[in-house]
Amino acid sequence: MVSGAIDREDDQMSDASTYNRRLTPRAKAGLGIFARYATILGLLAMIVAFSILSPKAFSTLGNFTNVLNQASLAMIIAGGLTLAVVVGELDLSIGFAASLHGILVTGFIVHDKLPIPLAILIVLVLGALIGLVNGFIVTKMKVNSVIATLGVGTIITGLAFAYSAGVPIVAGVPEAFLQLSLGRWLFGIPNNIVVMVFVLGILWVLVERTSIGQEIQAVGGNPAASRLAGINVDRIKTLGFVISGICAALTGILLASRLGSGTTSAADSYLLTAFAAVFLGSATLRDGEFHVLGTLVGALIIAFGFNGLNIFGAPTFSQYVFQGAILIIAVGLSSLGRSLAES
Amino acid sequence: MAMGAPVVPPFLVVRNISKAFGGAKALRNASLDIIAGEVHGLVGANGAGKSTMIRILAGLNHPDQGSIEIDGHTVGIETAHCATAFGMSFIHQELAFVPGMTVLQNIMLGVPKRSRFGLTDWAAIARDVEPIARRVGITASLNANVKGLSTAENWLINICRALVRKSRLIVMDEPTASLSAAESEKLFAIIKDLSASGVAVLYVSHRLDEILKLCDRVSVLRDGNSVAEFTRAGLTRKALVEAIVGSAHVGNDSRPEYAPQTHEIVLRVQNLTRLPKVRGVSFELRHGEVLGIGGLVGAGRSELVRLIYGADRADSGSMTFRGKPYAPKSPQAAVAAGLGLVPEERRTEGLFLTKSVAFNLGLVNLDKLVLGRRVPLLSRKSQSSLARETMKLLSIKTASVDSPVGRLSGGNQQKVVIGRWLQRAPHILILDEPTRGVDIGARAEIHRQIRELAAAGMAVLVISSEPDELPDLCDRVLVMAEGLIVREMSGASISRSAIVEASYGERSH
Repeated sequence: MVSGAIDREDDQMSDASTYNRRLTPRAKAGLGIFARYATILGLLAMIVAFSILSPKAFSTLGNFTNVLNQASLAMIIAGGLTLAVVVGELDLSIGFAASLHGILVTGFIVHDKLPIPLAILIVLVLGALIGLVNGFIVTKMKVNSVIATLGVGTIITGLAFAYSAGVPIVAGVPEAFLQLSLGRWLFGIPNNIVVMVFVLGILWVLVERTSIGQEIQAVGGNPAASRLAGINVDRIKTLGFVISGICAALTGILLASRLGSGTTSAADSYLLTAFAAVFLGSATLRDGEFHVLGTLVGALIIAFGFNGLNIFGAPTFSQYVFQGAILIIAVGLSSLGRSLAES
Repeated sequence: MAMGAPVVPPFLVVRNISKAFGGAKALRNASLDIIAGEVHGLVGANGAGKSTMIRILAGLNHPDQGSIEIDGHTVGIETAHCATAFGMSFIHQELAFVPGMTVLQNIMLGVPKRSRFGLTDWAAIARDVEPIARRVGITASLNANVKGLSTAENWLINICRALVRKSRLIVMDEPTASLSAAESEKLFAIIKDLSASGVAVLYVSHRLDEILKLCDRVSVLRDGNSVAEFTRAGLTRKALVEAIVGSAHVGNDSRPEYAPQTHEIVLRVQNLTRLPKVRGVSFELRHGEVLGIGGLVGAGRSELVRLIYGADRADSGSMTFRGKPYAPKSPQAAVAAGLGLVPEERRTEGLFLTKSVAFNLGLVNLDKLVLGRRVPLLSRKSQSSLARETMKLLSIKTASVDSPVGRLSGGNQQKVVIGRWLQRAPHILILDEPTRGVDIGARAEIHRQIRELAAAGMAVLVISSEPDELPDLCDRVLVMAEGLIVREMSGASISRSAIVEASYGERSH
């Protein structure tokens, strides 16, 4: 290799030029359309296939509602993560944070006898605070967000153990708190679904239809250009982390309500699910750009996939294989979309 | 051929190559031949095509037309790896180094290494490399960490790497840009030694004194054409400058005479310094004036603008903006105060390539695009109509306001970056290389728009490396060299040749 800056420019250009040279414009357009609609087609194909294979168990309104209800918590946390990745960062603390929040909210209610709404409010504020800390470490201390949020997440796990001594808080959880997740207060629709639709709706409006949403998209798209256009890049990035933190808190609260307990590590696995949903979503409808609606589609694919595997009694190992594979496929589709968009 | 018909073909012959990026021709009909063992100078003004020529030789760009021969055989330099295989090494101003590694490891970067029993045999390699390292004047131990070494020593390491690879041509791009006078002298001695041992050097530099002193032959590029080739015998400074500048530029078009006394000063810059690139710059900028800053790449122009725009902080010096002290802490503060910037690199610093034209145009005007002051909801209708208005003003050609801006041509992209600021109407608009890589039609439109903005009272600061741009556009021009303003000219005294001459002005040290 030759030395110097010539090299680096070349590296940046190589992706685009490889596609440019090897593909005809028509093939490129075709591949672009495929990448954009592949996830939606995949979702539909999966639903159709499962419906044909198991019409009695799978394609019933009850099962669909159940899948959506189950998936709602993942969708909320993934929706929050979407904001963090839209501003160009990663937030690995969300799963751990949700676990801590689940313990805290049950602890506040059971041990400290706080009114349920107050306990929830405090935990949501704490969620925002964790986001603020993540944002500070990333923007002011210039720590890479993967490392920063992994570190914060690990510390959070430690705090969760410190608070609960590793013992789940089970006894004395009031029925009213359980009803938060189990209830069907609006037209018989499970509360989780209502909350999920409400949260994702707000997030969608925020990103797509507000002036601050334009800045959020700008910062993720090109931080250097955003700065020169007069946008406070650090503040916008921190906002992304704060929203991610609040959504993690909400998921933790709803999970504690659904399980009827506060358990360490209960929500840790939401991290991978959320990432898979977000990356699948970025390959949906847009060329590798993260967006709220896409995340919703991504989360649905994962939820129906797991549901199908369960119905057919697939062994446990296959569920891990499914989750790992879907994450890799998601990121692959996402970067394919991006490189096509740039060429 | 000037040096007498060679018995063997020249090492390298570049024949009539052309290369265009988008609509802009970087090389039109450029030729170059390099004989084994000669020191060959390559000169030309900014944008003359030197970098493109080097990138083509290095296999990073590919010519649209023309041919390249090595040892008399036509070759295609497809990749950087090919260029190395053909015996060419490239040493760039900004050197690539792995800071944690030793001198020897850095020399051997990317070079096939001897091994014993599958392990790299560093002792044997060191024995081989040692004499070469001493020959090029590396005094540091081969086992020393490169971290503490000077730029000059880094250059020597690169030269050593080229020799270890048995390169037959070493291309040096602005080698003395960050070397002291004494270090430069050492480098010249090494170049002479290389030349004597049969290694050719392509010496690319703005510093004509060095070219005059070192080179056996010199090729001059202007506007992508090969315009002159000098042998040592015919080489004078005057002839070189004439070849670089070209025929005298035809006079300015008739534009309204600018009367500075009638306009208020909007920005006063006093002794602004940020070492090493900006060293005590003072000037005034008035409403309604187009002020150009000329000079060579690396003269400190972009760095000066970054200080004014709050992207960097000054070491010392002060500014007043509209009569008040002004020390922006960030671009955000500068924008809020009433400045706008069209940055040098539109794709990386200006645009959001995957976002729509409307998104890109709306970004600095969001306060005008919301439903109400307390309702931060975006009005898509206002966003589209603002975009359409701007597109009409600048005749931006795009399928729709929703097309991704990355699909537009270079000229239209540049208009988007400029158009963003039109609705905001800042007091000062700074344009860094406003027409780089833009076709002639778009360039004229951009110039017209800049003049109109000034006529409406805006103060416009234009940096340009294109030789013809500033005379066409500006009321007043400052020429920077080595971090200082070395010349000021206004009105009819602005000319292409005056700017280029001042840019190449004798160095102050």
